Amino acid sequence: MKRFLFILVIASLLLAGCGGAKTPAAGNQPVASSAPAVSTAPTEISMMMWGDPAELDVWNQIVADFHQANPNITVKVEVSDWDSYWTKLKTLLSAGTPPDVFAMDAPLYLDYQSRGVLLNLQPYLDKNPDMLNGVYPQTLEAYKTPDGMYGLPRDFQTIVLFYNKDMFDAAGVAYPTADWTYDDLRAAAKKLTKIGADGKVTQFGYSLDLWDFEPGMSEIIWSYGGDLINAEHTKTLVGAPKAREAFQFLHDMMFVDKSIPDTNTASEYGGDPFLAGVSAMTAFGHWVVPGYTDAKFNWDIAPMPNGPSGRATSVNSAGFVVGKASKNPDAAFEFLKYVLSEPAQTRLAELGFACPVLKSVAESDAFLKQKTQINQKIFLDSLAFAHMKPVFKGYDEWSSTIGDGMAPVWTGEAELGPTLDTVVPAADEVLANNQ
Amino acid sequence: MTKQTQKLILDIISYAILLLGAVLMVGPFLWMVSTSFKLPGDQFTKTLIPPTFTLDNFRELFSVDINFLLLFWNSGYISILITVGQLITCAMAAFCFAVVRFKGRNLLFTALLLTMLIPPQVTLIPNFIIFKYLHLIGTSVPLWLPAFWGGAFGTFLLRQYFLTIPRDLVDAARVDGASLLQIFWKIYMPLAKPALAALAIFTFQGAWNDLLHPLVYMPSVPNTMLTVGLAFFQTQMTHGGKFTVLMAGALISVLPLVIVFFFAQKQFIEGISLSGVKR
Amino acid sequence: MEYGLRPLGREKFWLFALLTPTFIGLIFGALGSVLATVALSFANWDLLTPPTWAGLANYVNLFKDAKLLLSLTNTIKFSAMYVPGVVIISLLVAVLMNRKIRGVSLFRTAYFLPAVTSAVATALVWNMIYGKDTGILNFILERLGMQPVCWLCTENAMYAVVIVNIWGAIGEGMIIFLAGLTAIPREYYEAAEMDGANGFHQFFNITVPLITPSIFFQTLISTINAFQAYDYIYMLTRRGQGDSSVPVVVFSIYRNAWNFFNYGGASAQAIELTVIVAALMAFYFWLERRYVVYE
Repeated sequence: MKRFLFILVIASLLLAGCGGAKTPAAGNQPVASSAPAVSTAPTEISMMMWGDPAELDVWNQIVADFHQANPNITVKVEVSDWDSYWTKLKTLLSAGTPPDVFAMDAPLYLDYQSRGVLLNLQPYLDKNPDMLNGVYPQTLEAYKTPDGMYGLPRDFQTIVLFYNKDMFDAAGVAYPTADWTYDDLRAAAKKLTKIGADGKVTQFGYSLDLWDFEPGMSEIIWSYGGDLINAEHTKTLVGAPKAREAFQFLHDMMFVDKSIPDTNTASEYGGDPFLAGVSAMTAFGHWVVPGYTDAKFNWDIAPMPNGPSGRATSVNSAGFVVGKASKNPDAAFEFLKYVLSEPAQTRLAELGFACPVLKSVAESDAFLKQKTQINQKIFLDSLAFAHMKPVFKGYDEWSSTIGDGMAPVWTGEAELGPTLDTVVPAADEVLANNQ
Repeated sequence: MTKQTQKLILDIISYAILLLGAVLMVGPFLWMVSTSFKLPGDQFTKTLIPPTFTLDNFRELFSVDINFLLLFWNSGYISILITVGQLITCAMAAFCFAVVRFKGRNLLFTALLLTMLIPPQVTLIPNFIIFKYLHLIGTSVPLWLPAFWGGAFGTFLLRQYFLTIPRDLVDAARVDGASLLQIFWKIYMPLAKPALAALAIFTFQGAWNDLLHPLVYMPSVPNTMLTVGLAFFQTQMTHGGKFTVLMAGALISVLPLVIVFFFAQKQFIEGISLSGVKR
Repeated sequence: MEYGLRPLGREKFWLFALLTPTFIGLIFGALGSVLATVALSFANWDLLTPPTWAGLANYVNLFKDAKLLLSLTNTIKFSAMYVPGVVIISLLVAVLMNRKIRGVSLFRTAYFLPAVTSAVATALVWNMIYGKDTGILNFILERLGMQPVCWLCTENAMYAVVIVNIWGAIGEGMIIFLAGLTAIPREYYEAAEMDGANGFHQFFNITVPLITPSIFFQTLISTINAFQAYDYIYMLTRRGQGDSSVPVVVFSIYRNAWNFFNYGGASAQAIELTVIVAALMAFYFWLERRYVVYE
């Protein structure tokens, strides 16, 4: 009886809502076409993404350009901030009314793809075999599944070392070079750290975002010969000896040298002590560049340092996917294709939030010559030693489990070793639940 | 000690406590105001007076390609509709629960209160799906329509107030042959002005500051409510470390609420006079 | 209690008419909120694929998962400090504000400001106040020759967020009590003054008994708010990816529903909160029958 009631309620409320995702209608099957103008009838597609006002401006331009090239297709753009975006997207998907095209962050991609709400783009890609030739192959990796690609990248991020030139000059420390090792970084950070008479640190040598592996943490783990997770995504490896060494290194910088602020201290400076002008170095991707442009100090970038097992950085891409419930999959794909075209990629490059995935544009002046006089090529050259930010089902919960578990370590309230011992099994349990 | 001096001492003590409290209450707010007039480089300075006074933050706010007038208009008309809807329908129900005797009164009231207990984070999707069937997604209707079918908070608030209104008044009116509706409209509504003002303040403020519902029901920027618009560019400001602009945005969004409050609170005048209402 | 006007004749229709909006709301609310949440709490639902029957698994997990138990303890601790704090302080403030003194409108507005200001902005300010090295509070403490305190470290964070939440709620409580105070007939005080009762006497013998309906209301609403408190706690104690050093139940409800594709688990936690608050509500109503004075 209970069960019957349950089914009744669920059925009446939700099944129809999920219907779009569950039963692919005939119209959803990709219709073969390689001609640029797909249909003759005017269609409107909806496109949803996260972003901020500057990004919205550029996307409005891209959409207008696209409309000019494909007069039959109008794109309705909806932009929200990052947090709002995912809430809104999930609500729309759960009600079976997703937008035709929506933005996707590579690590979260499989959470959606595996639940069958994305359209398989492979049939379209097979019809356009040359489409991806000019795209950095590292940025395509994340979207590949056994039955084809369900998404395409639009831009990518590699992590580099940012440094405050004024602080280096004042302390008489040589700027980071491409030959730097993590020991060099530590030594320089120590010299750049200023501790007041009352024991308070007034300037830190290095600061990094300890909430996520991507900026700064995964790099050093890889450089020490460790890894985050095994290839099958069944075992968490951050507790293995090499990774532990890397963690210990950062931990020593924070609590022995006091050259890295703990997370409580970092949040006093709005979360980014480098931007607040109290930290000499930090590790981030291209996304901070627009914000740093207005900084009151001189800064530059260098590749991530070398470790005992070589150099490493992380590569991650953001891209677009097409909802399986889309009524205009052809037009939607045309738009995705356009995003990878030179004009669109050039606009994205000029926006300066990320690196364009199209090689010809990334290596052109549009990307390399920007308002900030930094060597943009370092972002591109970093691809040579970049590892992919992990992509698997359950990524968010897995990385949160580790991030939450490790948080007390980075506030100085828990021991590193024992914490890792409890965090790893918890993370493995998440992996098991998501198989 | 005479009555006069006693009152004076009491007044001075009240003043002192209120003033001290006001410093604690307003302090963080003043800090926000001050920060919104600081240069981004000065945002962490520990002085209340900005080292360099600037209007740049407000300029930057309005230079963003968002139609703020439209956002204000949307927030305004939706919040007003919600407030009007709540005042009318909650008062109607509260009157029944407080004054009229009918079968199932307590059961109905309990059921109503229960709807208030489920955290809104989980009711969002079921509600969204219902509105989807009503084909109202992408409009502002799902935001204000529910305000016209009553609500636990407002009904409860007004019921509590109605219960304190002397029953002699009702009995006397009944003897004079007043109908149910007349008692509601001529006795209870005028006497409940302070409670209605309180409900109006709460409802307006809640509607004005709501982020989640306009986010999912209305289209995104630009045609949305102010909260969604501000959240939209907060990312840029926090990434750029410009908390000064964020504070400027918060300041602008709070001004209408302060004005609404300032006028509504005039309804809270000290004590009703029994002789005044007792014919 | 069973007092009430009897509707006469056609008035039955009017009674029904007055209640109609609420009936519609209840059907909608019951269907949209209560029933759906109850049903989903027995389901595995990831939002994207059709829900499947989970039996009691989500509920069993409530008692098995150490993190969930911790968050429940935190929520209860938080409420135990928050509810009396809000009720007592805002009642005192309202009583002081209810006097005929100059500039009272400005005072009221000042006290109401925290309640209306965007939590994102004020949380930033509170972060500046609570900061360990750069914070204003520690700055003052050190000037006074005291040791600085790590306000937002785990051992103090609970108190720090309770203070901010009370700070943000006093304005609303004050309004409830101000409205309630207006219903106390002036004659009562005049009579008491004739008898020579002083201010304290008047407060405890007239104000407190006659304001009990408002106290009852404010306590119940504060309890609900305490169990659903989210904004300030999140923004002041956030660490890791959306975790907090003061994880409360609503946190994991939010994360389960919106980040971890576990709407079923989130619904079970929501029902857990609802049952607890409903039990408290029943207790309050029992107290109401004994102690609350109407009219």
